[in-house]
Amino acid sequence: MHVVIINGSPRVQKYSNTEKIIAAFAKGLSEKGATFETYAISDRKTWDIIRDAYIKKDEILIALPLYVECVPGLLLEFLETLPRKDEQTRLSFLLQSGFAEGCQLRCGEAFLEKLPKYLNVRYGGCLVKGDNFGIRILDEEKQAQVTRPYQAMGELFAEGDGFFREEAKKFTGPEYFPFPIRLMMGLIFKPLGKKIFQKAAASLGCRVPLDERVWETGRN
Amino acid sequence: MVLMIDTTTEHIGKGIAEELTRSGESAVGFELVDTTGMNISHCVGCNYCWLKTPGVCTISDDYEPILRKMSNADQVWLISDTHFGFVSWQTKNIVDRIMPLVTMYLKFKDGQMRHVMRYDHQPDIGIIYTGDGDQAYLERWCQRTALNIGTRSLGVFSESSKKEAVSCML
Repeated sequence: MHVVIINGSPRVQKYSNTEKIIAAFAKGLSEKGATFETYAISDRKTWDIIRDAYIKKDEILIALPLYVECVPGLLLEFLETLPRKDEQTRLSFLLQSGFAEGCQLRCGEAFLEKLPKYLNVRYGGCLVKGDNFGIRILDEEKQAQVTRPYQAMGELFAEGDGFFREEAKKFTGPEYFPFPIRLMMGLIFKPLGKKIFQKAAASLGCRVPLDERVWETGRN
Repeated sequence: MVLMIDTTTEHIGKGIAEELTRSGESAVGFELVDTTGMNISHCVGCNYCWLKTPGVCTISDDYEPILRKMSNADQVWLISDTHFGFVSWQTKNIVDRIMPLVTMYLKFKDGQMRHVMRYDHQPDIGIIYTGDGDQAYLERWCQRTALNIGTRSLGVFSESSKKEAVSCML
């Protein structure tokens, strides 16, 4: 199997969480003898090259971050430039998000499920996984650690059944957090979570509170 | 205040604004923003509006005045062409960039994690579309999008049922 992997994130590759996920996933493909080539749509100058790979190859995987319940605007723009193909081509997706629960990604997944029909290609399934917001702020060793589970999904994908197998469905984790866990997370988040975000913000040079109001709204 | 943001190539917002004026309830304050000729980038996912310059987008283009209007409006109507049954990328870019309205802080609401809002007031959201939109999907997406800012969907209407949409603005 040879897979064309397209990073659908608008964020520059260097800071892209999706890019780190793709790296782990691709390692899994290699482990099982599959080969791959990777592209990223964040650089518009490469769109012609990516489209060419999409046209010529028949196993395509688009990995993307969830942006407001669906595909990022930039990826939507790129998708509109793709020509219709045929059933020989299989299009699969890896949808990742910051929010952790599976329920947060279902609206985006529903769009991706229907997209291959519009492009006249076959749907290869969608791997759905949240809780990836923090990847960017971790050091390299920790990044490798948190993205490692995606390697197993690469190995699974190399077996040829897309993301339709039970293991891929289970990979999402809980659809909702049970109430006791929500309660616990709420209690922990208030002091600890805020501190983590404030620290990350300070390291970026932020000097104001994270809930700063920039303007007064009409309803205040 | 009712804000209409028109990204359509046929500028159908103009006709909707006329319909609203004709309806007689002239007390309704509204504003139509036609994005033709405006320079509006996509969201680049830098997260600076949450972590570096809270509430302020790092991209300086024609978007910020629109965001301020959205923040103050009671209703925001996205007037969009459709592709793949969904809103156009021009409209999606406008929605992707509402992130300065929410903060980095998180909370659980109705069993799901949500961002804590930056401001006390957020608009309800509706869609009026041209072309072959996937009505059921657009309704689902509009509801979910509104949920993200703690408001509700005003509904999704094809151009041919714009009168119904206008009746929701009154």
